[in-house]
Amino acid sequence: MGGALFVTLMRWLLPIALPTVFSPMPLFDTQFFFREPAWLFGGLMGVLCFVWYHGVMDDWYQWARGIDTPEHHEDKPGIEKYFGPSLDHKVIGIQYTVTALALLVIGGTFALIFRTELAASRLQFLTLEFRLFEQNGLQLYNSLMSLHGMIMIVSILLGVAAMMNYLVPLLIGAHDMAFPRLNAFSFWVAPPAAILLVSALILGGFDTGWTGYPPLSAKAPLGIDMFFLGVFTAGWSSILGSLNLIATTLRMRAKGMTAFRMPIFVWASIATSLIALTATQLIGLSFQLVAFQRVLHMGFFDPDKGGNPVLFQHLFWFYSHPAVYVFILPGLGIVSELLPVFARKPLFGYKWIAMSSLAIALVGFVVWAHHMFTSGMNEYLRVPFMYSTLLVAIPTGVKFFSWVATIWGGKIDTPTPMLFVLGAIVVFLLGGITGPPNATVSVDLHLHDTYYVVGHFHDTLFGGFVFPFFAALYFWFPKATGKRMNETLGKIHFWLMTPAFLTLSFGMMRIGLLGMRRRIADYDPALGFDNMHLVLTISGFLIALSILIFFYNLVISIKRGEPATGNLWNSRSPEWQVVSPMPAHNYDVPFEVVGEPYDYGLAGSKYIEFITPKKK
Amino acid sequence: MHHTQDKSSALGQGVIIFVFLGALTLLEYFIAVAVNNTPLLIVVAIVKAALVLYYYMHIGSLNDDDHGAGHESYAYKTGTDRLGLWLFLLSDAFVFLGLGVARFNLLGLTRPELAQLFGLFVTNVLLISSFSMNRAETLMAHGDTKGFMNWSLITMILGLGFFVGVVVIEWHTIPAIAEPVLILFGEHAGFVPLTASGTAMGAIFFMMTGMHAFHVLTGLALLQVVRSKAGKGYYSAEKHWGVEAATIYWHFVDVVWIFFYPALYLIGKLV
Repeated sequence: MGGALFVTLMRWLLPIALPTVFSPMPLFDTQFFFREPAWLFGGLMGVLCFVWYHGVMDDWYQWARGIDTPEHHEDKPGIEKYFGPSLDHKVIGIQYTVTALALLVIGGTFALIFRTELAASRLQFLTLEFRLFEQNGLQLYNSLMSLHGMIMIVSILLGVAAMMNYLVPLLIGAHDMAFPRLNAFSFWVAPPAAILLVSALILGGFDTGWTGYPPLSAKAPLGIDMFFLGVFTAGWSSILGSLNLIATTLRMRAKGMTAFRMPIFVWASIATSLIALTATQLIGLSFQLVAFQRVLHMGFFDPDKGGNPVLFQHLFWFYSHPAVYVFILPGLGIVSELLPVFARKPLFGYKWIAMSSLAIALVGFVVWAHHMFTSGMNEYLRVPFMYSTLLVAIPTGVKFFSWVATIWGGKIDTPTPMLFVLGAIVVFLLGGITGPPNATVSVDLHLHDTYYVVGHFHDTLFGGFVFPFFAALYFWFPKATGKRMNETLGKIHFWLMTPAFLTLSFGMMRIGLLGMRRRIADYDPALGFDNMHLVLTISGFLIALSILIFFYNLVISIKRGEPATGNLWNSRSPEWQVVSPMPAHNYDVPFEVVGEPYDYGLAGSKYIEFITPKKK
Repeated sequence: MHHTQDKSSALGQGVIIFVFLGALTLLEYFIAVAVNNTPLLIVVAIVKAALVLYYYMHIGSLNDDDHGAGHESYAYKTGTDRLGLWLFLLSDAFVFLGLGVARFNLLGLTRPELAQLFGLFVTNVLLISSFSMNRAETLMAHGDTKGFMNWSLITMILGLGFFVGVVVIEWHTIPAIAEPVLILFGEHAGFVPLTASGTAMGAIFFMMTGMHAFHVLTGLALLQVVRSKAGKGYYSAEKHWGVEAATIYWHFVDVVWIFFYPALYLIGKLV
């Protein structure tokens, strides 16, 4: 409320105040009747005021005044706690999950809209005559397509944060994250960031794609500013969340949990957080520079003033390529975490998997320019970046061999979570092996900006995030609620989504190889892609249907799911050794690590032992 | 921990490091004037930054063994807080790294025309503020709240001086003040100042100094918060994490300038 009030106020005050303060800088009129700097500043202040008035920073304010507050606040019972600034990492994890799923729905809906337009050649409903939010159909197509990309990315970032927040303290035996207030702050900047992103659609949209390259983004309508701000503030969430996670893991592990006795998901989270902590700053910076170029006429990327548009791409991809490892590493960690549970065998090559996550994260820092083979950067950079990119295949291969060896000869059980784990392995394998052609300069010059690339990255993100995320939701749902999700509906979800998705990504890659360009609203009927595009659209709707079934399952399972308070999956992990739902401050009795985490099927082996208090 | 050192030797160490830093700053200025050797300037900057990181920011205390104290002790919690702060600085450093990369991408080995002596002057103002901050923290670590209040006030005045020097004078925000001051520092009359909206060179200069000045401001705000708490007797020799945090942050802002100063004023040929 306060935030909204402030935005409105700023919108009226700033156009008056700014010209007087920065009088040498000419303020230009956009095609709209309001001034751009006011929206930018107002949006930023809106986020800050929302967080402030929501009470997220109350304790910090008290500390600054020299008043100490208790370390923990007791949450209100019931559903109310999810709407306030709770400090409990489990509540925050669920807040992240719900926000991530909401954005998944919004981003997915956007995709369905433009997918429908693409079902046949020629323009059907997003035409030049069609008008909505000050945009014609073609501009709206561009806005929806661009926002689909970034909303999904933010959804994935929040989903990753959801898994790490909920699971890591439980897996390492901590009572909470290292900085609970920072954790609440990290979450509560995300909803306003999401609102800013979606508001881009109403404020004129933008036509740049999710990458926001200048010079196009320097000239796009006002929507691009909201897009920049949304990503910028979502970046805070990501940066501060990973800072918290690294500190938690380094400082709050249970007794006896040495580095190589940590659950494998914790290794993946550390690798992810190292990227998110550092590289995220660069996308924030790159967007900030474009925003300043727009409102203050600073010529960073303007060749007329001696600027360089390719510089933006370097800064942008320095984050945005490693970002895909932020998306997939936790998912691959979930796969490694759950496979031994359902194969009833030790995880093959634990140390190799742990190190491969770190290796992917570190190599990920030096591969960014493979997105720029066609962008006019210096040619001598192409070959080194090709080789560094191909290098990523080695640690990724380590993971696949280890998974196959873990499954080999196991007593495999396939409830819903395991189905999604196996689906993740298959889909990510397809995403993985379609990657090297893009990394190879000679091939990429032809594949760049085609549907082949679109198919490839949808494969990696579904295999690396979406499938494992659903696996994690089905697997840990009983831990959070004390009930299990419906198996039949879960299996229908899986068996509907997987073939539909495979059809979608294969189809995209096929027409991409035949010359279908990405990001366009229409294509020549003579290309003969009409039938394939229709199939792709139907697949898209089938995926949406499967997600609807998932949501239905979620709702009925919360209401009247089968009770499951014990160790439902027969897991060795510490959080399953106590009652579900998890008690408020996690483990009432602390535990000590006494063995290896994944020695499933080895007689007499033990991972943890609860430290029973000595009698006085 | 650093307060195991006795008071006079800790204060003495601060002075010696300050002398080194001052000498290296003058050295880099003369390297720039005499030979303008870029690798050499980068090496000097790295040495200066290393001195500040090790002796003023006590980066080594990240390695303190505090497990013996128990996870609920003040020492252990401070260790966690310290790790969190350093992770934040690591993250923040990437913003400045990105700006540095942008500067070399856009300008290569050229540099804008700036008032050299004035640049050297504000650099030294910030450097002296690092020294006074070190002194303030050392006194606090030995329980001298009054000494802390005095030296942190000096730090804030110097920090404010740096901020005004950059934002008001170097930026030509108020020409009536800026021009006489810059002429006093040897700038020829009638020079054309850089503007943010003019060339890419002006844009990156304003962006780098502006981002740094923003951090100076937040550092001043932190110092003010810590000072007002210290004034109420909130901190002691044993418990003064707030003071330590504000100090580390203040030195970090100085470390950034250690790299930005040569990047903007010294490295490259004048255009």
